[in-house]
Amino acid sequence: MDLVTTMKTAVFAPLLGAFLIPVAARISAPARNLLAVTLGLVTFLAAASLLPRALDGQVAAYTLAFPLGFDLTFSADMLAVFMAAVSSFVSAVILIYSVDYISHYENQTEYYTMVLLFLGSMMGLVFSMNLVWMYVFWELTGFASWRLVGFFRKDTDVQKANKTIMVTVFGALCMLAGILMIYFANGTMDLRHLRGETVSTLAAVLIMAGILSKSATLPFSTWLPDAGVAPSTVTSLLHAAVLVKIGVYAYARIFGVTVVVSEGFYYGVLVIAGLSALISAGAAMIEKDIKRIIAYSTVSQIGFIFLGLAAGGKTAFIGGLLYIMMHSVAKGGLFLCAGIVEQKTHTKDITKMGGLFRAMPVTAVSFALCSLSVMGIPPFGGFFSKFLVFRGAAETGSLFVLAVFLVGAVMTLLYLIRLFYLVFLGEEKEGAPREGSVTMVASVAFLALLGLALGAFVHYPANYAEILTSQIGAIE
Amino acid sequence: MTISLLHYMLIPLFSALLIPFVARRRGRLAEIFASVTLLAGLISIGGTLLNPAVLASGFSALGEDGFSLLMIFTVYLVGLCVAFFSASYGEGRGVNTTYFYPLLLVSVSAMCGAVTSTDFFTLFIFVEVLAVASFALMTSDDSKEGLEGAVKYYLLTFPASAAIMLGLAVMLLSAGTFSFDSIRIIIYSGASAPALVFSLSLMLLGFLVKSGVVPFHVWTPDSYQGSYAPVSAFLAGIVTKISGVYAVVRIAMFLRLFETGAFRLSEVLMFLGMVSIAVGAIAAMKQDDFKRMLAFSSISQVGYIVLAAGLATPLAFIGAIFHLFNHATFKTVLFLNSASLEKAAGTRDMNKLGGMEHPMPWTSWTSVIAMLSTAGVPPLSGFWSKIIIIIALWDAGAVTYAVLALLFSALTLGYFVVMQRRIFFGKKSAAAETAAEVSPALLAPAVLMSAVIVAAGLLFPYFFSYLAETIASRMVL
Repeated sequence: MDLVTTMKTAVFAPLLGAFLIPVAARISAPARNLLAVTLGLVTFLAAASLLPRALDGQVAAYTLAFPLGFDLTFSADMLAVFMAAVSSFVSAVILIYSVDYISHYENQTEYYTMVLLFLGSMMGLVFSMNLVWMYVFWELTGFASWRLVGFFRKDTDVQKANKTIMVTVFGALCMLAGILMIYFANGTMDLRHLRGETVSTLAAVLIMAGILSKSATLPFSTWLPDAGVAPSTVTSLLHAAVLVKIGVYAYARIFGVTVVVSEGFYYGVLVIAGLSALISAGAAMIEKDIKRIIAYSTVSQIGFIFLGLAAGGKTAFIGGLLYIMMHSVAKGGLFLCAGIVEQKTHTKDITKMGGLFRAMPVTAVSFALCSLSVMGIPPFGGFFSKFLVFRGAAETGSLFVLAVFLVGAVMTLLYLIRLFYLVFLGEEKEGAPREGSVTMVASVAFLALLGLALGAFVHYPANYAEILTSQIGAIE
Repeated sequence: MTISLLHYMLIPLFSALLIPFVARRRGRLAEIFASVTLLAGLISIGGTLLNPAVLASGFSALGEDGFSLLMIFTVYLVGLCVAFFSASYGEGRGVNTTYFYPLLLVSVSAMCGAVTSTDFFTLFIFVEVLAVASFALMTSDDSKEGLEGAVKYYLLTFPASAAIMLGLAVMLLSAGTFSFDSIRIIIYSGASAPALVFSLSLMLLGFLVKSGVVPFHVWTPDSYQGSYAPVSAFLAGIVTKISGVYAVVRIAMFLRLFETGAFRLSEVLMFLGMVSIAVGAIAAMKQDDFKRMLAFSSISQVGYIVLAAGLATPLAFIGAIFHLFNHATFKTVLFLNSASLEKAAGTRDMNKLGGMEHPMPWTSWTSVIAMLSTAGVPPLSGFWSKIIIIIALWDAGAVTYAVLALLFSALTLGYFVVMQRRIFFGKKSAAAETAAEVSPALLAPAVLMSAVIVAAGLLFPYFFSYLAETIASRMVL
């Protein structure tokens, strides 16, 4: 397949395929599940096959003319392909895991439709080179997350889902205002034409509000722990594969490699990201709900990613990009483990768990491996991303980033050890749960080992990120 | 009158006259007759608009006024949906089909007359015909509320008609003509500008009352809520839009031609539009009755159209007219769904509903589409019309209005997601246990309209070039 067709496959296979799910559901449930998993894999393969070609410097571009400068432009540059490959990979694993996990519940057809729509919008978002289309796909992901968070239809669940969509849509509307400011100031919304342009701080702050609300950073972070009422696959999807990564991606795309804003703005981002990283790490240390702990951990880790991307300098930027990948894999794994634990013990309260290591050894080991990667222990993948951000910060001499990073890393270590100890070690509580089903356990074990493998072969992604950074040209 | 479009007005009128004779023995024939008439009209106007030759020429081959054509299309589309819907809905509600369908067709005919008229007097006549037909339509079923709504509508819009009439008199005295073209030339010449502005503002006042813009909105919730359910959809979707909003947009097109003076009037229009957006959205949040909530939402959406009309730049008119069309589609879906819901669950009280998605998946999902479009969530049609309005506002320097309009769409989404939770999603209520999805005949109009919403969103470039080519570029600058 040529470049443009591959790119279109990556976007439209899940986006349009999502609407075939209800049709397939008419045939039979297995047909529907098979279609969903196939579409997820096709998306990943299409995105992954773009990787080597992007590395060769081939950039696919496709434009559909719209009036008023709203042209729908897809372009597969290195950053877009990197992000697409990471998200679609984790999404595909989650889809495979879902087949067992979700099979006990109602509304499965809606679930698969929304997951694919989610994935498709994410693909659309990363390949879009037009701010208005980024916004369009941005809102589509908001819609899909609304339906998915409200998957269980109790009143509280639907309320949390409404909170999710209201917070993210409010942020998105601020972002739209910012986009319009750029449109009127610079006369275009095409990111390729905006490269190197200076935008006003107010516009940047408005866009940042949208990014922060989507990636659940302070002060918009509360919806993410609340969204934990959803099935674990959904939270995993939100945390690891798509939703919160959208914010990080948009930051890298808009402020990292495209426009230039005043110094104060970057400084503000650093402060917010630092605060967010530390405060939510603190929250993770005192929470008792397993999913809320991991959710706060995500908020905290996203803060670190922002620190890396905004610290200035190439090394930290590369570290930030790697961080996105490592965090996706590890956090996806953690949530899927939490899903197995929750399904088998029927509780989310960690004080009521304990000694699960004996009952579910594979899950426990996978959980431990993923935790080690999140903590940043060598030789796991997470170590290298943290190290690069750290080194980048040291090179540019930003003491603030260094300090936050050190404190944050220690806190991460503490809350994850506490979590692991309370859930898997300690004395056994009554009621012996069993290990999860084969596909579920295999999915988490795969993600856990992948975290290790990414550490061993960190050379390849690091090399890619480095070429990306010098090719697209991160801001200095 | 635009002669080439005359048949869109005359054929439903003939059909209305025939129905009482044809369907004297068998009421079913009235439904069939009316639906076939409207379907034929829709196909004809659709063929004109979507003719491959016209599309290929980028719409420049269309001779007629694009605004009129689009409105005729909308009138027939909504008319057909309502006629088809009430055919299955009306049974056992004391609806006399030999009155109902002729009245429906007369209103369609009057609306086509209004949108094709080329002078103010004819416009006024057709709007009055429409008003009389709608009073009668509102009382079609055997409930008391319909009568109450109709009386309120009558009493409150009567002074509006008086104001319009007064405006017409002043216009005749000062300019000596009613014709759009002549008035336009007189405005250019600069003669008797104050008197003309005065007459136009009187008319504007009247039509604002008829469109239910704040502070003249008191009649709208009561009449929409009380009417026979399909008629509510008809009223909210198209009737009040033609009898009020269409005329407001037309008059706004004249206001922008004045060299001085009239800009204050435009500012008032924009202000009222903004207030409507705010008041409608805030009031909608507090409602318990589904239909009443939709009525307030309607006020809020009309606010966007009036806001854009007041701005009166070509881009703003494109946004206003596109939003007028979109509003007709999504509000019709929502009102028809409220009727289906009432039929299936026996109540419209949102406190008693919940979990209706299980028995009624189609109704639930068409409502979601319509509601997201209303709230301006991309890529549905409502997003594009709203963003055009906002860009137009911003472009003309009205940044405050632009930002407010943007933020109020968050509020719109807010009350709609709450509505979804209380009615369709959320905990299963007692009503949801017993209710069942309504028949396919009742679903078909909502599904058709939802398809139009999605299509209008995805085919936005066609819409835009249509409006830009037939309206904006032909407006005398």
